[in-house]
Amino acid sequence: MHFGPILSAMRRNKVGAFLIALQMALTLAILCNALFIIRQRVVMMARPSGVDEANTFSLSNQWVGSPEQIGAMIRGDLAALRGMPGVVDAYATNAYPLRGGGWSEGIGLAPNQKHSSAHTARYFTDDHALNALGAHLIAGRNFTADEIRERSERDKAQPGVMIVTKAVGEKLFPDGSALGKTVYVEDQPIVIVGIVDMLKTPWVSNAWAEKFVENSMLDPYIFISKQYSYIVRAQPGQLDAVMQAAQKKLFEVNRNRVIEKVRSYAQIRADAYRNDRALAIILGTVSAALLAVTAFGIVGLTSFWVTQRRRQIGVRRALGATRRAILAYFQTENSIIAGVGALLGMALAVGLNLWMVQALEMQRLDLLYVLCGAVAVMLLGQFAVLWPALRAASTPPALATRAS
Amino acid sequence: MLKMTHLAKVYRTEVVETYALRDLSLNVREGEFVAVTGPSGSGKTTFLNVAGLLETPTGGQYHLDGEDVSKLGDDARSRIRNEKIGFIFQAFNLIPDLNVFDNIDVPLRYRRMNGAERKKRIGEALERVGLSARARHYPAELSGGQQQRVAIARALAGTPRLLLADEPTGNLDTQMARGVMELLEGIHRDGATIVMVTHDPELAVRAQRNVHIIDGQVVDLTEEPRFHGVHAEARQASA
Repeated sequence: MHFGPILSAMRRNKVGAFLIALQMALTLAILCNALFIIRQRVVMMARPSGVDEANTFSLSNQWVGSPEQIGAMIRGDLAALRGMPGVVDAYATNAYPLRGGGWSEGIGLAPNQKHSSAHTARYFTDDHALNALGAHLIAGRNFTADEIRERSERDKAQPGVMIVTKAVGEKLFPDGSALGKTVYVEDQPIVIVGIVDMLKTPWVSNAWAEKFVENSMLDPYIFISKQYSYIVRAQPGQLDAVMQAAQKKLFEVNRNRVIEKVRSYAQIRADAYRNDRALAIILGTVSAALLAVTAFGIVGLTSFWVTQRRRQIGVRRALGATRRAILAYFQTENSIIAGVGALLGMALAVGLNLWMVQALEMQRLDLLYVLCGAVAVMLLGQFAVLWPALRAASTPPALATRAS
Repeated sequence: MLKMTHLAKVYRTEVVETYALRDLSLNVREGEFVAVTGPSGSGKTTFLNVAGLLETPTGGQYHLDGEDVSKLGDDARSRIRNEKIGFIFQAFNLIPDLNVFDNIDVPLRYRRMNGAERKKRIGEALERVGLSARARHYPAELSGGQQQRVAIARALAGTPRLLLADEPTGNLDTQMARGVMELLEGIHRDGATIVMVTHDPELAVRAQRNVHIIDGQVVDLTEEPRFHGVHAEARQASA
């Protein structure tokens, strides 16, 4: 390969080559970090919630006026919902996984503990909740019907028992099982009677909540409030029909209500990750645009060089260069520029990430992304140079004898 | 060495056919120095392009060094140009971004010759044209005559079977032109086969044989070849 003469020729045309190398370096730096962020978001958006999402929906209920027997009204609604054809189970709650808003709570291992040992989301549930969510109990037991109490927002009483996620159990008792252990919420003792495999918190797209996104606790409470949600799980294939029928059924039971936000879990998930998806799309679009601009830059500059060196190419052809040799010349030239751009870009990518780690609390960039990005930029260069290089290779050797 | 038989070159467009060469027959023997002359537009450059395998003929036959090269593919023609033909162009056609050494190296690299052999040949060629001290200079740093000498060195380094010169002194002043012609005559005396296209009658008479082209046809051949230096003496002695 003619590295020496190509480098020698490039030394005499430094500016154009350097600008393209710089453009490729910036593209690589931005591309690596953008792809890393996109990948993080995609992985995050694909995380399971612990809910049987395919068959479950939520329904937000608000009572009109100031009803006094909300507990009884909720029980009436739940009985009606559970009795509907196509319904597996249903329960009422203050919040649910991926909802976007909910209650958080600190759990301690001793009363009067200054700082809680585990931060969790707090869900008010009943003995039907695990079945309605499709959550998997991996240790202990479910709540019993006689453990279910009513609780309003202002009550400070704590339940005697609770169910926690595996993540909470491991956080509180890393050296052994949390089952049967007594923990403290607002200095009140509570026994952990069950452990479920997984239930995400309501806040899944929030840097603050990301540290405890797997931590949830379930209390045996019926939430006495004018506004709360029902979670309903349908038989497989019955979701749409049940979503429509459930609203009718509830109005049949009691018309003094407003039902809003009837959302399948697909919708709940889409809403929860809307910002992440938008960010991924924007970053993806910007990355694609950046790649296109860089590719056009390479095509433009190489085309200019081909036009500028057309006679020189004709001379090379006259002196014995095959079309393949001319093609290889431009590909080699581009590889050298792209190689310099890739090395510079790798350093820039790591530098940019280190700055974002410090300034924006981002994760460290996986070096695999930098390497893949470098390969991608090199390939982009080869792809972009192909058309002008083919044009150069088609230069007739007879051009060498024509008057300049 | 070079044998063209009923050679034709036609440029076709949708509306017109232009005969650049028609029924051209020519035989150049090994070691000959032939000048090809003719007015502008007579087909001299087309003849040179076809002879140098820069263009393919549209009819007739062309044998170079005993091989029929009329219908070769692009790669094969590139190989023969590289290995058997040396070009000297009117405009020198040096690559401005490469120094003298690298310019001479260009055709040798396409031959995939090893580095040591290339270096040896470049050194010898530069010495032959008297420019050994200018190996690291760029074309822009040389005079026209020196640039043409570099171009001649580039042609010589590949030890071609045939040297094709296209108005080699056309861009030079009289003194430089004389120097270049003396160099070509010296190369011929050493046994090279040279075909030189020129419109200058003074240069043409310095060749062994003149071929005149008008309207793409050979119309006049100097039958009695002239010889130079040792070749001439040898011919006269044998006669």
